[in-house]
Amino acid sequence: MTTADLSTRFDGDDVLVRIAGEIDLANATEVQEQIHAVVGNSAVRVVLDLVDLDYLDSAGLRVLFTLAERLRVRQIGLDLVVPPGTAVRRVVEMSGLAPVARLLSRRAL
Amino acid sequence: MATTASADDRLSRIRSVSDGALTELLGRIRDALDADSTAVLLLEPGGRELVATASDGMDTEIRVSLGEGFVGRVAASKQPAVHDCRLGVPLLVNGELLGVLHVRTRLPRQFSEEDVEFLQIAAERVTLAVHAHQVQAARAAAKALQRSLLPAKLPDVPSMDFAARYVPGGQSNFAGDWYDVFPLPNGWLGIVIGDVVGHDLPAAVVMGRLRSALRAYSLETTDPADVLTRLDRKAQHFEPGMMATVLYGTLEPNFDRLHLASAGHLAPLVTRPGEPVVFAELEVDPPIGAVRDVRRRSVTIDLPPGTLVCAYTDGLVERRRAPIDDGLDQLRATVVAGPAEDVCEAVMTALIGESVPEDDVALLVFRRKDEIGPLEVVRPAVPESLKELRAAMRRWLASAGIGGELAGDLVLAAGEACTNTVEHAYGPAGGDVQLRIELGDGEVVVTVRDHGHWRAPRGQNRGRGLTLMNQCGDVEVDRGEEGTTIVIRRRLEPEVRP
Repeated sequence: MTTADLSTRFDGDDVLVRIAGEIDLANATEVQEQIHAVVGNSAVRVVLDLVDLDYLDSAGLRVLFTLAERLRVRQIGLDLVVPPGTAVRRVVEMSGLAPVARLLSRRAL
Repeated sequence: MATTASADDRLSRIRSVSDGALTELLGRIRDALDADSTAVLLLEPGGRELVATASDGMDTEIRVSLGEGFVGRVAASKQPAVHDCRLGVPLLVNGELLGVLHVRTRLPRQFSEEDVEFLQIAAERVTLAVHAHQVQAARAAAKALQRSLLPAKLPDVPSMDFAARYVPGGQSNFAGDWYDVFPLPNGWLGIVIGDVVGHDLPAAVVMGRLRSALRAYSLETTDPADVLTRLDRKAQHFEPGMMATVLYGTLEPNFDRLHLASAGHLAPLVTRPGEPVVFAELEVDPPIGAVRDVRRRSVTIDLPPGTLVCAYTDGLVERRRAPIDDGLDQLRATVVAGPAEDVCEAVMTALIGESVPEDDVALLVFRRKDEIGPLEVVRPAVPESLKELRAAMRRWLASAGIGGELAGDLVLAAGEACTNTVEHAYGPAGGDVQLRIELGDGEVVVTVRDHGHWRAPRGQNRGRGLTLMNQCGDVEVDRGEEGTTIVIRRRLEPEVRP
């Protein structure tokens, strides 16, 4: 069974969600619910840290696009931390997610 | 009187029923006596209760205490009895009570002497049928137990070649020896061979528990010494007095290295192409269940392509009147770095032959293949299969020397094609997804096939999978009557590293 581990940290008005593991059809809904549960509407910016995410496919992109759209309506920004040269970075770039989310190469300190 | 058949007629009718057909026999007895129901109640082990085992018609007590009620009194007295609309006779084997045959009518009815005599003769037939029934049930239970204790099917692992043999000693159906090969969720493979001291069913039952415990601990750590330490602790506590030798190995996902720990088990033979056959250099620690709190050690063995490992239990090499070294020498002379199945056959022929071995024998041979054949995997088309399909693909790609972005793209493209099958190919009845990867003429070809009917994607944000696939390779989708086939081709170009 595909697994992803989420951990959340609040930094001022930012919500930092770190996702490690893999996301596919088997756990996408669960991951989506977990993200939505930790992002309240008081946030100004959501940062998804995908440095330790090993696999992401269209099922996972669906989660990211849905999140991006909901945040856009609420005027909340979305950053994705996806290091260059990784499989996840490549999927994100191929998918056309870049216009709706800012891609960062490194974790903010 | 024309209402009931003659005595001879009634007897001939029940005689024609075969021994095993208890229910049919009861039906004929009921008809012959013009009654409404017949039932057989059998004495439970312990002899205090009777339990309904077979019946024809309604109205049967399920559980009756000995001496209580009509049936209970027939059982206690071991004598036929008639009461109101009931007639009962004991079922006896050599004078011992087996149970009660019981006939009932709804309307009041006086059973005659002749009826009682008939039912006593019928009871003899019923006794035979019950006996046949019990033997059959015992046999079915033994068979199910035996099946549960047999080694599991060897997994299909790309670029690995497995074969095994398993012979219970002394013509028993059960053995305390076992072997086991299982993929772990992190892509490693667990490989086990073991031998529980003792033989026949009692050893087999302990073996079943150890096998299952070892599998459980294998999920916790890939260090074989650690797994055996946990297994030992479990066995010391829950199976005091048992002893077993176990060799446990964990194979890295790229198959390059095998980690091994031995709990008193004989060292496997290792042979690499063009090199002599050697016994693996192991740290042999005490058997499971032998000594408390021992420190266990693992060793690491390199497994370049073509390497063969032959693991076995002592039943293969030990002979009553010969030193064990004779058997080991003979084994070493027989093993070659060839296909695992051929090696198994040669070893069994040389060391066991036609005779039934005295002791249990287990033999497990595995070889890392030289060349990369195609990967073929078939899994149920459910989301839970996706991770496993990716793991199989990654292993295959690693052994084919394909890594980096190319491997990532291929895993993604094939993953999308498989996801497509999971989501769209089948109705609620489900079906399979077939994945094949092979090296072609300077290209990798991924084929994903199902036997369902394509259905357009539903919901928002869908249909992105095909876009991704197209960016990872050349994609052809064939939606035929027999199912959908997706072929993804990708040129094998040297990776450009930044």
